[in-house]
Amino acid sequence: MSAVIKTTTPFTIKEVLFSALARLGAEPVLVTAENINTFRQQSNVAIDDIITNRRDYNGLQLFCFNGDVWQLQHDQDEYATRIVSATQKKYQSVSRFLSELNVAYQGCYLIHLENIAELERQRIEQERIDRVEATRQQAIAKAKAQGYSVKEKHIQGKIQLVLTRSV
Amino acid sequence: MPEQQITLTIDEEGSITAKTSGFKGASCLEALEELLGDTTGIIQVKTTDEYHQKQAVQCSETIKLRN
Repeated sequence: MSAVIKTTTPFTIKEVLFSALARLGAEPVLVTAENINTFRQQSNVAIDDIITNRRDYNGLQLFCFNGDVWQLQHDQDEYATRIVSATQKKYQSVSRFLSELNVAYQGCYLIHLENIAELERQRIEQERIDRVEATRQQAIAKAKAQGYSVKEKHIQGKIQLVLTRSV
Repeated sequence: MPEQQITLTIDEEGSITAKTSGFKGASCLEALEELLGDTTGIIQVKTTDEYHQKQAVQCSETIKLRN
């Protein structure tokens, strides 16, 4: 006997998983100290779990973090399944759902990487602006301390300081 | 009254190019040292003919620094 199995991309990043679940219409809700009491059910729910709108015999299916990856907790037999949503009705099997989630996760992961790159670009740009401003302020302060009058111009993105003093 | 002038140009990356005029001999370098002494990374000093004239009334010099 032989078998072939395929696993999903490990869901390691909470924000990416959350976005992917939202994209699939799974209406994710992060469990917090404030809302945990609304999720009392047969299966355990803990703070920081991510609840979905997929219900089975054990209650709402949820993702919990095992220290490495986020795992879907669900009834193995998928008994008494339904979707708890005002807009979504059709329940998909866990394997189908995870397969679609896998695709959505990969798409959201790319966006996540782009966001990180953009944040890094903004950080570097802000560092540059701060560096130029610090240089400008330091030069003006020292020039004034040494008796120069300062005239400032901005020419093609550069700052020109004309320092003049009479001797 | 003689006038000493230093033109500092700070580029988009914070590097400074300085040009002096109205200084006698090497005093232009001293003036820049006073003004930019804390700044590190001098990558280029270019003196002009005026700098080398002993009796020069004026000198001009450019200096470029990188932060």
